[in-house]
Amino acid sequence: MANFRRFRPDDLNKLSKCNLDPFTETYDLGFYLQYYAKWPSLFQVAEDQHGNIIGYIMGKLESSPDVYRFSEHYLPWHAHITAVTVAPEARRLGIGKLLTEQLEVAADANGAWFVDLFVRVSNHKAIAFYKSMGYSVFRVVKDYYGEHSTDPTLSSEDAYDMRKPMKRDVKRQHVRDDGEKHEVDPSVVW
Amino acid sequence: MAPYRYGPPALKSSVDVQLQTAFSDGNWHTVIRLATKRASTLKDPYYEAIKVCAESQLDGTAEKCGALVAIDELVKNKKTPDLDTIELYEWACRDFFDYDVEYADTLGPLRARWAKANPSSPLAMQCLQACLERWDLVSAQQIATSLDKAHANTADRRYMFWNIILTYLLSISPQCTDASRKVYSLLAVRQLERAADLTENSEKLEPTDRGLLTEEEVCLYYRVLRSHGTKEDFISRVKSPKLGAIGQLKEGKKLLLCETLDTLETWGEWDLIYQLCREALSLGLDGGTTPFLVCDLQIWRKFAAAASKVADSESALGEVQTILNKYIEIKDTASAMYKKNLSLALLEATFRLPAAALNPNRDKTGLSPRVVQIGLFLDQYFERLSAFDDVKGYVAELGFDEIKTLMEDVLPKMLGEDVDKARKAVLNALESRLRYLLTTCPQTLSPQPSVVDGETQDKPFQCRLCDNPASIPCESCLKKILLDASKAYKEIRGDKELVDSIPRLDKDPRLDLALVMGTSLLKLSGLRPRTTDVIRPLWQTVDAGLFLQAVLLLDAQLKETPGDTELRLLLVQLYLLLGCASYAYQLWTPLDVKRTIQDALSPLFFDRISSLSPGLFHGTRPLMEPLRSFYSHNLGDRSPVRIWDAFSAGSYTSILDIVRYDGNLRRSCTVMMTLVEERRATRCYGGKIDVEIEEHFLTENIDDNTTLVNNTDYGPFPNLESTHGPPVHEYLRLGPGLSNERSHLAFLSEQYLDLLLYKPPKDYRPSKQTEVALRDREYTLETLSRLSNSLTDFLHQPTTPSRLTVAETTYYTVLSLLAAALLIALSTPRSDPVPKTLSLLTGSIKSAIASLRTDFFSLPSSPSTAASKMTPDKTTTITRKGGRLPGVSPSLTEMPTFAALRDAALAVRHSAAFVVAAHDRELARDRSGRSGVHRDVLAEMRALDAAAGKVLGEAKGHVQRLKEVLSEGGWLDRILELAFGGAENEEEGGREDEVARTVEEVIGGRGAAEEWAGRVVESWREGVKGWGMVKME
Repeated sequence: MANFRRFRPDDLNKLSKCNLDPFTETYDLGFYLQYYAKWPSLFQVAEDQHGNIIGYIMGKLESSPDVYRFSEHYLPWHAHITAVTVAPEARRLGIGKLLTEQLEVAADANGAWFVDLFVRVSNHKAIAFYKSMGYSVFRVVKDYYGEHSTDPTLSSEDAYDMRKPMKRDVKRQHVRDDGEKHEVDPSVVW
Repeated sequence: MAPYRYGPPALKSSVDVQLQTAFSDGNWHTVIRLATKRASTLKDPYYEAIKVCAESQLDGTAEKCGALVAIDELVKNKKTPDLDTIELYEWACRDFFDYDVEYADTLGPLRARWAKANPSSPLAMQCLQACLERWDLVSAQQIATSLDKAHANTADRRYMFWNIILTYLLSISPQCTDASRKVYSLLAVRQLERAADLTENSEKLEPTDRGLLTEEEVCLYYRVLRSHGTKEDFISRVKSPKLGAIGQLKEGKKLLLCETLDTLETWGEWDLIYQLCREALSLGLDGGTTPFLVCDLQIWRKFAAAASKVADSESALGEVQTILNKYIEIKDTASAMYKKNLSLALLEATFRLPAAALNPNRDKTGLSPRVVQIGLFLDQYFERLSAFDDVKGYVAELGFDEIKTLMEDVLPKMLGEDVDKARKAVLNALESRLRYLLTTCPQTLSPQPSVVDGETQDKPFQCRLCDNPASIPCESCLKKILLDASKAYKEIRGDKELVDSIPRLDKDPRLDLALVMGTSLLKLSGLRPRTTDVIRPLWQTVDAGLFLQAVLLLDAQLKETPGDTELRLLLVQLYLLLGCASYAYQLWTPLDVKRTIQDALSPLFFDRISSLSPGLFHGTRPLMEPLRSFYSHNLGDRSPVRIWDAFSAGSYTSILDIVRYDGNLRRSCTVMMTLVEERRATRCYGGKIDVEIEEHFLTENIDDNTTLVNNTDYGPFPNLESTHGPPVHEYLRLGPGLSNERSHLAFLSEQYLDLLLYKPPKDYRPSKQTEVALRDREYTLETLSRLSNSLTDFLHQPTTPSRLTVAETTYYTVLSLLAAALLIALSTPRSDPVPKTLSLLTGSIKSAIASLRTDFFSLPSSPSTAASKMTPDKTTTITRKGGRLPGVSPSLTEMPTFAALRDAALAVRHSAAFVVAAHDRELARDRSGRSGVHRDVLAEMRALDAAAGKVLGEAKGHVQRLKEVLSEGGWLDRILELAFGGAENEEEGGREDEVARTVEEVIGGRGAAEEWAGRVVESWREGVKGWGMVKME
């Protein structure tokens, strides 16, 4: 039912199974193409037998700008998962996990220290999923999201910055066990 | 983008503070004065450039063009200004590049010269970026060549590949002259061949070597080879140990293998496909790659397909089985997705085996290996949301005996002793879908003689499933499926325990059952794809009761499962078909189709929307603003979005793909749809159209030779149909989908209307009136001739009839005839006899409009119902007295035909007015009257005008009557009677209508339908209200 391959721009005409799902954000064209232009190997899709995209992951490789080099929040060369989504009909088959693993392979191939991502603290399902894949909370970014996903009375929500060390981080110097206790302001997150 | 986009560039630091300040403050007069002074004192041409650029900020036309003149001079004189001067000029001319000034003729060559003179400067790359952002490939290629030469054998490999890829891009671009195209093609291939040879022949390649090193470089080579090289070269290289597909795969690079297999498939190179798939899959088993790296369904499918096509297919298919079995042995280590892929691969392999291999003894058993495999697959996966989609293609391939066995033995026994109600309900829903699928498969029908025992048979087939006489599809099977599904539906609804368990399931089985019931009702209603051969209106082609029951049932289901996008989209289409555009829009809005997915999905709602309900354009926010802004934002620049990012990152396949995508987006039928729908709606309300369609930046590169692309995504529709018939969305559309032909005809028609409706600016007073009048006349005749020819050409293309509705064909025919008629009318001298062709043309125009008028105004006042439409027979008759829609109201579903009639009549009136106005202008200019329009022509035009005026009067009256009819009371009863039959019907035997009764029960009784009927009528009223404001003159 699924093929895994690198994204290509024509796929943008086949995104409906993923992007008509209310939980999947649709971005501007420039946003998708920026990822495809700069990090094509980190933009992978799963397609069904009819060519519909039933899952995709978008990621990037970067480090903080040099001016932050001496900041405690400086991020060394790493991969970042920007978006990962699976169409409702293709869930519970491990597609999200496979896509994430493929991104990790690319991250290793490109010498990344770790892979990181942001997730709402209320998204327990996603947090459990990432934890099962070896990710752990590195820090809590206070009020990272402009609205709360479950409580309309709240105007913001915290994010977990979760990380998984890559092969390069032999000494696991870029992860920590008590990340939930490290709170940071969104302004220091690059 | 370069910084000057947003403000003036910084002047050189050597410029004095006084001038710097004046420049940054925009104090242009001071800048001009100071720069003039400095230029004469310092003799530095840079100050001259500052002066010219400052002058270009003033209001005078000559001053504004000063920078352009200066650039032109530099280009002609082959001079190379410094980069600061170029930056200044580029900023000063920034607004011209959106119009007629070509970057490739102005700043591009200057930048190329500068880069050639300073190839080692880091700023040379900035020149390349600037040229790419203006999509000047000629200059960009020259710069890339200079950069490559200067940086040969450096570790930054991008220079070499920029040169190659730009040479290639130029070779496939319209910017390349035909004379140079071959040279550039060869150059790109040769450079890559050399690099490939170097890689093949080197033990180890260093980054400084000019070989192919990265996956992007290798894939670029193959892309160029596929395009410009020979098939033999491609095949030979793809087999090579180092740069071949398998060699690359061994390094963990899968992209080349995938692309190669696609290419080989288009060439029909099955032997090589077989070989590559076998090697690739074996690598996973031997530890050459990670085990499941290429375990994609696509690879397995290609492997099995290739095995069935090679010379010794039996042993090849045996090899497929062997490799597959080895994977199955290790599948416990695989993720659920790959396990499923392996199961599907097993199915695929079984279905590709020759019949003799599957059944060597030719036993007449339905329990074939194919059925066994489907059974095994479903046993594992029937609860999955995608189970039906996974197997439907295979089920549709089964022979009749196999179908019987699958449906009667395998599926019913699948759960065995399992008593889990939820699992049973899911299986039941799947079985229901499969039964519906089988009604669309020809093997379930056998031809029947047209005369049996001396009696003429009105059904051409006998259904092999129910033994009843049948047409396509078998109505008695559909009815049985519908009734069984409704029974299952009601059972689920009545079982609280079962309902409570639904959230744990992949999908609510009631939704599947509702879709089966809805589509069965639609088929039973007689709904067929509305292509050109379906010329009758909706209510004449469908049984109104069954059609309305389908809509009502699906609508009721949407209330239960509002988050289901498949169902929502289906209903959007059905309501559009029903003429309820405003309600369809309410259903469409929550889908939140925005940003990037608009190009592919917007046609599902917006195509033909102005002809169905122009009133929708009268909302608070312009209806198509998001689409317009998507295109403006992404196609405003000539260069593809994010192209420099791809160059900068060395993503060569991304560059090629982005360029191709950009080309498709610029040629998208959705772009044309956006422009045309908005213009039509604007004209409906007498609004001002800002720019002629041909002048719009979105149509800049579109001419008759451009193939416009339909990017519409039908993926999100539920599709229970087999591939033996049309997919479901074709049944639901107002007419054929977007197409190159329809888009061009719409584009040309809008150009024709632009010509007719053009009004010169009020203050336009040409001094040489005669000369201007002659030029205008020449332009008009040329345009009419071009439009007439183009419209005729597109109308006469063999594919065109199937791309248009009948009303559209007539409308475009009228416009084509009008263009030809006007050409004769305006070019015939008064002294000559009027060619007979004119009266032939006007005669054809009149009869075309008359036929549209007849099609529309002769609609029956009562839609067909089961009782009136279907032939009774013992098994399939759905007898019931239907309700009726009063007076003109059945036309509510035919408003696109009404719009075509109005548009055609208005085009006639505008054309006649255009001729008369041309005559009046000539009379005013030339009092002798000799240059005016021929008297007989004027008479013809006036006659046409009168005929069109009459039609428009009728149209106006029709809208008024619709308004009156819809304001009457009793509509809810009417709709419900139409859907279910009246009260008398119940008393007199309405209970016989098992289908109607069942639908009523499923939706929760007739009372529950009242609210729905109210929404339908309200939407019709809103639509008619919108039409009431449309100008009819």
